[in-house]
Amino acid sequence: MARKYVHLTPYFLVMPYIVHFFVFIAFPVLFSFFLMFHKWNIISPMEFIGLHNFYRLINDRLFFRSIFNTLIFLVIHVPLQIVVALFFAEILNQKIRLRGFFRAAFFLPVIVSGVVVTMLWEQLYGFDTGLLNRMLVSVGLPKVGWLIRPELAMPSIAIMATWKNVGLYIVLFLVGLQSVPPQYYEAADLEGANRWQKFFYITLPGINPTVLMVLILSTIGGFSLFIEPYIMTGGGPLNSTLSAVLYIYKQGFFYYHMGYAATLGFCFAIIILLVIALQKRFIERESGN
Amino acid sequence: MRNTHINFLYRFLRVFLLIAVLAGIQCDENNRSGRDALLYWSANNPDEIHFAREMVKNWNESDPKIQVVHQPVPEGRSSEEIILAAVVGKTTPDIYSNMWQGDVEAYAQANVLIPLDTITGFLNFMTARCDSETIAEVTSLDGHIYQVPWKINPIMLLYNENIFENIGFQDPPDTYSDFLEAAARIQKDSDGDGYIDRWIGYCEVLVVWYQRFFDFYPLYLAASGGGSLVKGSEVKFNNEYAVEVFRFLKTLYEKRYLPRERLSARSDAFLAGVIATRFAGPWEIAHAEKFKPEGFKYSFQSMPVPDEQEGPVYTYGDPKNIVIFNTCKDPARAWRFIRFMIEKENDLKFLEITSQIPRRRNLFHDEFFRNFFQQNPKMIPFALQAEHVKGTDQSPVLKEIFDIISQEYEACVIYGTKSPETAIADAARAVELILP
Repeated sequence: MARKYVHLTPYFLVMPYIVHFFVFIAFPVLFSFFLMFHKWNIISPMEFIGLHNFYRLINDRLFFRSIFNTLIFLVIHVPLQIVVALFFAEILNQKIRLRGFFRAAFFLPVIVSGVVVTMLWEQLYGFDTGLLNRMLVSVGLPKVGWLIRPELAMPSIAIMATWKNVGLYIVLFLVGLQSVPPQYYEAADLEGANRWQKFFYITLPGINPTVLMVLILSTIGGFSLFIEPYIMTGGGPLNSTLSAVLYIYKQGFFYYHMGYAATLGFCFAIIILLVIALQKRFIERESGN
Repeated sequence: MRNTHINFLYRFLRVFLLIAVLAGIQCDENNRSGRDALLYWSANNPDEIHFAREMVKNWNESDPKIQVVHQPVPEGRSSEEIILAAVVGKTTPDIYSNMWQGDVEAYAQANVLIPLDTITGFLNFMTARCDSETIAEVTSLDGHIYQVPWKINPIMLLYNENIFENIGFQDPPDTYSDFLEAAARIQKDSDGDGYIDRWIGYCEVLVVWYQRFFDFYPLYLAASGGGSLVKGSEVKFNNEYAVEVFRFLKTLYEKRYLPRERLSARSDAFLAGVIATRFAGPWEIAHAEKFKPEGFKYSFQSMPVPDEQEGPVYTYGDPKNIVIFNTCKDPARAWRFIRFMIEKENDLKFLEITSQIPRRRNLFHDEFFRNFFQQNPKMIPFALQAEHVKGTDQSPVLKEIFDIISQEYEACVIYGTKSPETAIADAARAVELILP
């Protein structure tokens, strides 16, 4: 009996992934595409409305504001993430004391729940009671409205997100740094190159693929900014931390505008695709040069 | 070796299928056993579960023909989300007793609720229990009634008596001018670090639509004598009352009488004396009695109103009502259970067990409830206020309306980037666009 069906075994083995793919990826994507042309609040029957959702999107000031906010976040977060991660990776790649401990310590925030990290940082950023402002006041500096001043709220969130994720990118950079052949550094030493020259002419070109990967990963991660503004600011003050994903979530799950949320999601996916393609092209061209 | 693995795989699949089939049969048996009983979901807080269990027990003992099975609404981020999921999955109970009034219109338009006014005896019972204002408030845009007005938690001004005595106020402030004067006296830098650490109150600064039920909306109802925000497809809040409320709250923030920092992460700011007032409901009584420091005195009074305001002071009642879903096979039988649950005797039990106010006319002056209020004097302001409360307007886009108001509230009131007149006019224009 078992021998009769032996040729089916591979299909059984890949079945979990196939089912997962169709249920959680293919179907939602196709259904979202279908929803873009409909009005649907989950409880009432769907209504075909043609391109009305796209017309609404073009006139939706808040959606473009949320895209702008997300880009602001990326502009702060991505370079900061790369610089900080590379800096610590470079230090942790040296033979320093307690290296193993520090590597683990930097990675710790990555595995802590985003909600927990966000709530902790909310305590740090508090205006009257936050630890950061207490430190500022103790040295005679004025308090800062980290989360209540519109121009500071998004940079504050970007700093927190960098702290949360930097451990992951440190690990990636460490792998990259360890793949640079040591002979290059020995040759540079013989030529009398200083520390900076070795970093800019050997290390950076050597870890270029890692930089590209970190750039793309942190950009994609940055585009999905949601938990931090959702918990800390709710998108405020004055919509300055309303990220695109938060806005799409609000449309979908606060107001049940499922068709419109699908349209926003589709357009946002295209924007992410364009940005990643541009980034990839730029880095590849720079690498070629 | 390879065959052993394959045999193991098939054996595993057979056992898995057998378990699945048995589980299916068991599930089906469970459904069949409760087929004739009415399923009733209550709110899932301990007091309401206690009340619901007692009601169901008494009912089942008195009428064995119509058995009711009680279950608290399943846990989730909010009961509203659970109900939505149940509606989508067609797993709604027959009766649900924690329906937020603002959600009813959308469900009614989606035809998932039973129009209760079509059930014999419903209207007679309702006109005896509620005043005409309440019945008008719960009547949907199509003229039917889909909900039984059941309970309210009026939003009032909770205040710290000690602080007001210390600043020379015998009575708490009841007008905007008094409130601002008290706020100036209460504002304090206790530790001398140059920063204010005592305020008259606190309003949530997050731009979340439902937070406006605890600041703008009750103040608007108080100022306008229970006015509407919208009526059908017409905007009603573009008026001097809404502008006055925005101006009042804007002044409080401008003068730093209210903090812009979120205080929710701290220990209870009211009981700690960090804030002197709070816009709150009767749920605060149990909390305060449990956690208040020694000598702490507090009380409740109506929401502050504009100086020239006359007449009764309204507020938001935060009503939660009872509905019958269209998955119910026998709505008339479900109604008989609901009618039993909201009889006068059971309303008294509800008061005693949950400290929430039943929405029935003349509650405070009814002899039947006198003993309760004599024994629970903190509940008296709420019972008196119950005569002048309002729920929400009937609109399928109520959340969007409150979200738009919230956006303008943040811009004008908290950050002062717009004048009250402009903010209200902008909100009204935006709401006009979304009204069906």
